Amino acid sequence: MSLLKPFSKLPALNTANILLVESEEQFQQSLADALVKETGVTVNVRLAKSLPLPMENEESRPRIDLVVFIINLASELSLKSAEASLKYLDPGYFLGKVCFLATNARNASVPTERLDAVRKLAALLHCPLLFAEDQTPDGVANATERLLTILKVAAGLVPMATALYLSSLTQCTVPPDIDQPSFD
Amino acid sequence: MTEAELKPDGGAAAELSEAALSELLDQCEDQFAALEKLQNEIILCEPDFCENPQEQSVNRLMATEAELKQWLTTEPASLSANSEVLLQAGKEEMLKLCSELEMVVSCCEAKRDKLKETKELEQKWLEEKKQVLLAASDHVERLQAEKETLSEYSVLQDTKEKIQKIKDYQERLMESLGDILEKHLPLPQNESSSNKKKKNIELELNEDLISLNEILEVLMNKVLKTPHDPYVTIDDTFWPPYVEMLLRYGIAVRHQENNFKIRLETFF
Repeated sequence: MSLLKPFSKLPALNTANILLVESEEQFQQSLADALVKETGVTVNVRLAKSLPLPMENEESRPRIDLVVFIINLASELSLKSAEASLKYLDPGYFLGKVCFLATNARNASVPTERLDAVRKLAALLHCPLLFAEDQTPDGVANATERLLTILKVAAGLVPMATALYLSSLTQCTVPPDIDQPSFD
Repeated sequence: MTEAELKPDGGAAAELSEAALSELLDQCEDQFAALEKLQNEIILCEPDFCENPQEQSVNRLMATEAELKQWLTTEPASLSANSEVLLQAGKEEMLKLCSELEMVVSCCEAKRDKLKETKELEQKWLEEKKQVLLAASDHVERLQAEKETLSEYSVLQDTKEKIQKIKDYQERLMESLGDILEKHLPLPQNESSSNKKKKNIELELNEDLISLNEILEVLMNKVLKTPHDPYVTIDDTFWPPYVEMLLRYGIAVRHQENNFKIRLETFF
């Protein structure tokens, strides 16, 4: 079992590396295509179905600045896979270098329990939880923009801001009455 | 925390002088050397495992506190001693800030316009609702006033008036029907002054013929008096052309089995 560590390698100049983890591999590719179009910094996107990452690419893999777990709310498996993958991350990542991206939240067939479970998971790990629309180009562009903002901070490219500092402000919080039955 | 140091952008150096550029590069190299040193220190450090979230929270708290301490102890230092570099960096920052602020402005303007539109729409709705309220309260007032002045006697009077009105109307209808029938469908008569050909035919006419008026009356009375058997037998007093006309225009209907019986069409 190899842990993915945030500071195991030297950073490259003016470069940010993002790892997209999605068990279904649906949204990954379009998001990656949009992410690498950023001109201000060099963005390297690595894709994975789940963690741990295979050993053979260990040498060529750059330092990962931000790990994004894409969770399709319409599928239980997606959440389970993300939960299982979390074990293979160094605790150092949870200081602002992990973020959850939920898709399909608008879908009416999504049980509210699953959404609550994702929110609780994000809150427990002090990570931001983003929602994205993966079907429309606008949704992909929006998600890209938001991820890039976090990524630049996590990669240390924004002066006077650190990943820990940002995540203290953006971490997901769960209302205390989330377990109460709602009346609407 | 360690690599959050700013690295001056290489692209900005394009307009810098040789001396400034080399100074900047030297600075970058120094920074990178420091970074490498820190990196080695990190790798040498034994990572402390913490599986459960409680410990992770503590971990996080410690890290945040450490960062806070660092921020507090950090002396604000200028990016570089070289004024040329500072000017360039400042210019770039300003331009970036400007473009960002412009975006904020356009965003705010769009929001404002949208709000304006919404406001206009809402005001229109409000106006409509006000009018509806006015009409409704008007109606309520009228009903209340009516209720106060209304008595059993006036209701009776009202009904009587209505009945009278309907009666008048019916009378008028009957009168005009009679007028029309009299004027346009007179009883066939022997016209002695007419030409000879006609005279020959008319001579055969029965003297007991009744007018269309009377035919209709007979039919109507029959329907009202004996609804179960509304048929009237055609006899010599019915002028055949009139019967034919009534049948053709759907005013009367022949009996299905007896050709000599007709009844009024059921208009109601």
